Amino acid sequence: MSSDAQQDFAYAFLSILFEGAPFILLGTIISGFIDIYLPAGTMDRFLPKNRNLAILAAGLMGAVFPVCECAVVPVIRRLVSKGLPVSYAITYMLAAPIVNPITAISTWKAFQGQGPWMMTGGRVLLGYLVAVGVGLVIARFSMRSILRKSLVDKIDKESLTPKAEETCSGCCGHHHDHDHDHDHDHDHTHDHPKEDGRLVAAMRSAQKDFVDVGVYFTIGVAITALFNTGIAPGAVWLDGLAGNTFIAPAALMALAFILSLCSTSDAFIAATLAKFTWGAKLAFLTFGPMFDVKLLFLYQSVLRKKFIIYLGVALFVVIWLVSIAAQKWLIAS
Amino acid sequence: MKPELRRILFSLAVLLWAAALLYFYGSGRIAKYLVADFRPIALFGGLGLAVLGTFNLLTARQTASCGHDHAGGEEHDHEGGDMNPLFSLILMVAPVGLSMLWTIDEFSQATLARKGLYDGGPSREESKFFATMLPPLTLEEIEKGHRRTSDGYLEFNLMELFFATGDRELQGLINGLAIETEGRIVAEKVNNPNGTRMRLYRVFMTCCAADSRAIPIILEFGKEPPLLPENGWVTVAGKMSFPEENGTLQPLLQVDRATVAEEPIEDKFLRN
Repeated sequence: MSSDAQQDFAYAFLSILFEGAPFILLGTIISGFIDIYLPAGTMDRFLPKNRNLAILAAGLMGAVFPVCECAVVPVIRRLVSKGLPVSYAITYMLAAPIVNPITAISTWKAFQGQGPWMMTGGRVLLGYLVAVGVGLVIARFSMRSILRKSLVDKIDKESLTPKAEETCSGCCGHHHDHDHDHDHDHDHTHDHPKEDGRLVAAMRSAQKDFVDVGVYFTIGVAITALFNTGIAPGAVWLDGLAGNTFIAPAALMALAFILSLCSTSDAFIAATLAKFTWGAKLAFLTFGPMFDVKLLFLYQSVLRKKFIIYLGVALFVVIWLVSIAAQKWLIAS
Repeated sequence: MKPELRRILFSLAVLLWAAALLYFYGSGRIAKYLVADFRPIALFGGLGLAVLGTFNLLTARQTASCGHDHAGGEEHDHEGGDMNPLFSLILMVAPVGLSMLWTIDEFSQATLARKGLYDGGPSREESKFFATMLPPLTLEEIEKGHRRTSDGYLEFNLMELFFATGDRELQGLINGLAIETEGRIVAEKVNNPNGTRMRLYRVFMTCCAADSRAIPIILEFGKEPPLLPENGWVTVAGKMSFPEENGTLQPLLQVDRATVAEEPIEDKFLRN
C-alpha cells in the first residue's frame, strides 16, 4: 500500500468507525443488560399471540425503540438467545433502522425541496412492508436453518438450563405471580444473586457483545473504506446509469451496499444524487439499512452464511422491483 | 483461555477504542472526521467505552452471578465469543492502531480527485438542496450578510460560489461581483491550455469524512499563476463569473490578488 493509499484508508476508516462505534456501544449495553436482567420470553409477552400479528407488530417496534442498523444486530442477537422467535427478531432487525423517528426526521430534513413527505413516507412504508414480508416468509423455516450454529447451541443450552424464575418463584425478582410445582429433579443451588454481581455480569456480557460485533464491524468498515477511497471510477460509471429506469435502482443499491452508510444519515447522501430518479433513491434508502458491507459481517454474528446470501438476494430483488414499480406508476401518475 | 485473561484482553481492546475516540475529540482532530452533530455522540461513545473497559478490567477477577441457575453440570457461558479471543483482539486493535498511525486527517489529492475535485459545477437539484441550508439571498441580503474587505471585495464562502453555479437566481446576483474567498489551492488539470489557471477547493462533509466531497472553483489569473504552496490555504479576491465550458457552467474567479492564508479551524459549510 502506498503512503497515499494508507493515509486515505486510515482517514476513511477512522471516520466511519468514530461515527458508528457509539451506536454499537449503545446496542451492546442494551443487549448486555437484556442478557442478565430480562427474563427469557419477556419479549414474547409484549407481542400478540398470533404469529402473523406478532410479525406485523415487530416491524413497528423500531418506532418505540429506535436503533440504527449497527446497534440492532447485538440487540436482536440477545433477544433471540432469550427466546424471541427468529422471524420476529429478523423483522425487527430489518425494520428498526428505517421505521424509527430519527431516520424519518433525517430523511424529511434531507429531502427538503424534493418532496420530503413522499420520500419519508415511501421509505418508511417500503421498509416496513419488506421487513414484515421477510418475517412472514422465514417464519416457515426452522431456526437451525437461519441462525449460526453457535447461537443455536446456546439457545439449546438455555432451554435445557432451568431459569431462575422457573426454579425459584420469588427469589429472583421476576415472575412472582405464578404457581408451579417445585418438585424438580435437578440440583437447586440457585442463591439469590446480589445486585452488584448482576451488574458485573451485565457489563461483562455487554463487553463480550461489543467485541463480537466490533470485530465484524471493523472488517466491514475496513472494506467500506477501501471502496470509498477508490470508488470514483465507479461513480462516473454510475452517473451514466442514472437515467435508466431498470438499472438505476440496482446501481444505487449496489452503491448503498458498498458505502455502508448509517440509516440516520444516509438520506443526506441520497438527496445529493441528483441525476437519479425518485425510485432509485428510494431503493438506495431502503436496501442500504437492511444489507450493506458492514452488515454482511455483522449479520455473521447471528445468522448462517447461506441464509445471509439468500436474504441479501431476496432483499435486492424485492426492493429493486418495488422501486421500479413505484417510479413507473406512482411517480409517473 | 482463562476467563480472567479473556476479560482483560477484551477490556484492553475496548479501552483502545475509547482512547482513540477521546483522544481525537480532546485534541480537536475529530472536527476533521465528523460533522458537529456527531462529535458529542463520539465523545459520549468514548466515555461509555472507557467506563465499560475500565469496569470490566477492575472486576476481571470478581465472581459474578447472572441470576440464572447454573446447576446440573451445564456450562452456562455468558462470555464465550464466536472467535478465538486473541484473534478478536488483533482484529479490534490492529486496524484502529495502524489507522491512527497512518492518518494525516485528510485525503490525498488522488482521492480528492475521485471525490469531485476536478468535476464541473453542481447540478440544479444539488444547488436547490444546498440552497435550503444557506441563508436567503437577495443583493441586499448578500451585502448585509457578507463583510466587505477594506479594498471593496465581499467575503464569500467557497461553498456559496460553487453551489451558485446550479442556481440561476443566486448566479445572477453573484455574477460580476467583486468577491474574496478562501480555500486550498491546487494545479488546474482540466481545460487549462495556457497554464493560467489553478483550482481552489474546500471539503464538504455530510456526516463523516468518508462521505465528504471536494467543492472546487476555477481560478483564472490571466497570466502565469504566482508561486503559492501546493494544497496550501490561500485567500483570493477577484471578479466572479459562471462561463459555460465543455457544455457545463463553471464557477470561475478572475483573480486580482492571491495571498497565503492561515488554515481555518475546520472546513465549515458556512463562512468562518
